[in-house]
Amino acid sequence: MSARSLSSIGPVARAAIVVGFFAWAFVTLFPLYWVFVTAFKPPPAVVGGPTYIPFLQFMPTMQAWEDILAGIRGDFANTFINSTIVGLSSAAIATLLGAMAAYALVRFEFRVKLASGLVFFALALGLYLAGTNLLGLGRVPSMGIAFVAALVGSILVNRLPAPGPVLGNDDIIFWFVSQRMFPPIVTAFALFLIYSEIGRSGFRLIDTYWGLTLCYIAFSLPIVVWLMRDFFAALPIELEEAAMVDNVPMWRIFVEIVMPMSAPGLAATFMISLSFVWNEFLFALFLTTSKWQTLPILVAGQNSQRGDEWWAISAAALIAIVPMMIMAALLSRLMRSGLLLGAVK
Amino acid sequence: MMRNDPIKHVFIWPAVLIVLIVAIFPLIYSLTTSFMSYRLVPPTPPRFVGLGNYASLLQQPRFWQVVATTTTIAVVAVAIQYVVGFACALALHAKVPGEKLFRVGLLLPMLLAPVAVALIARMVFNPTMGPLNQLMTLVGLPNLPFLTTANWALACIIAVEVWQWTPFVILMMLAGLQTLPDDVYEAAALENATAWQQFKGITFPMLLPISAAVVFIRLIESFKIMDTVFVMTGGGPGISTETLTLFAYQEGFKKFNLGYTSALSFLFLIVITVFGTIYLALLKPHLEKRR
Repeated sequence: MSARSLSSIGPVARAAIVVGFFAWAFVTLFPLYWVFVTAFKPPPAVVGGPTYIPFLQFMPTMQAWEDILAGIRGDFANTFINSTIVGLSSAAIATLLGAMAAYALVRFEFRVKLASGLVFFALALGLYLAGTNLLGLGRVPSMGIAFVAALVGSILVNRLPAPGPVLGNDDIIFWFVSQRMFPPIVTAFALFLIYSEIGRSGFRLIDTYWGLTLCYIAFSLPIVVWLMRDFFAALPIELEEAAMVDNVPMWRIFVEIVMPMSAPGLAATFMISLSFVWNEFLFALFLTTSKWQTLPILVAGQNSQRGDEWWAISAAALIAIVPMMIMAALLSRLMRSGLLLGAVK
Repeated sequence: MMRNDPIKHVFIWPAVLIVLIVAIFPLIYSLTTSFMSYRLVPPTPPRFVGLGNYASLLQQPRFWQVVATTTTIAVVAVAIQYVVGFACALALHAKVPGEKLFRVGLLLPMLLAPVAVALIARMVFNPTMGPLNQLMTLVGLPNLPFLTTANWALACIIAVEVWQWTPFVILMMLAGLQTLPDDVYEAAALENATAWQQFKGITFPMLLPISAAVVFIRLIESFKIMDTVFVMTGGGPGISTETLTLFAYQEGFKKFNLGYTSALSFLFLIVITVFGTIYLALLKPHLEKRR
């Protein structure tokens, strides 16, 4: 260890390192301090130039918070509840489904022919075009038909002795993760249009709980699969093998042995996907209008509303970030146990 | 063990189906729309135009400016993040004083909503009420109109990106540092290698794979930047800080020019894919040596 600790470096260099590090720590923490104190400033302490120290330079007030609670700056109570419901449920569902998929990808062998993937895409695209242009069906029905047909077709192709390369588990994981590479604007904008078309046929998805949650589950799944795969791969296999010998069914092995053993990993993954969903802006901007609006949309709107009332804007920003700060503290306690090591190796 | 239990399909299909549905439909929808001239306002029925949308996009100077802006933000911000983040991780790993306290504090920014961070940044950069300009006055520098001149606004956005995402680099590099074996360093110390030699000869090469992954993830994510810009400058002044996603949003959600927006988002996808493939291809020989 000695080689990498600070004592092995000369005193001047050591001082430089410490000063540099503290400078960065100041840069990181000052804006957070600033938003905290500003949220309790009376308006004159903001407008008359910057003030820094409460009680000395200004008397803290609860003015901003009263405004927020009174609903002057938008319906914070309801939006907060929306964000909480959507965040918790989509993170929970994504963690469960993603963990199941990651477990299957760690413990079982999957073989997907490249040809079957190509057939899926070709069938989905071709049948959709045929449905809308030749058969005169609407976009939504032709999408449904194309999807089912493409799925059946590609599964059949996978059974046939088709030539071409065979993709294994790593490729499937890569496929999952690559979904995150997608610019979300492609998905968000098209989902908005598809949701509107489905809405016209009577099934409302825009500005509804399920419309937003479905998209957030899909949005979180790649991260969950990626993180959970490493946690599961690190688990000792012997317990599961012992249970196999005793003929315990697979789902019980998963629920009663694997899930409890990887509880810290599941918790960390849940919290990371919760933070992604809680902070997500683009999908919420496209897919909600009023009833299911989430906090980032309301907070972003503070900018233009009623001018630069920074005390109230700070309070609004704090409402969005304090829950994540609490979560960061919880998460860091989990991480101290070397949790992330697996994900890195 | 348990290589071919059919239950594996029950485990994997729910996730695959959801991702397929939410990923493939929008993809097909945008792909087909991108070859059509299709507007909602004023309503025009879809008409096949082939590569027309792509051609007119590629000829538009605004598109190239937006690409240049986005690339500048992504490359500069990620470069600074990597250097600062790696340095902080090394300092934390070497147990600088106060290390325990800062472990949580230094990681905080990455978990905060970008829109809230952008609002805080607007306060800090505010020309009359913000603390930064007061500091500038204090040390004798002129007050700067941070968010209303093109170059400064771009620099501010990069600064906010660095502030928010350096913690991610710290987190990953710190985890990487903890996996390094001690015995190599002990051997190096026996040969009287200086700290810099140890860093150059051991730490940096051994952390190259994780560095490559971290930079890759950050670059991809930075290319998608939208919320920070949306709140901080709205793409202004003029279009000087407009990014690809914001441009697509303006075209799609304000002008409802569907064919054009779809083509734009597809070009974006192609740019990211090409970029990512080149990056991985360049790095592959370096990474495989370490295996």
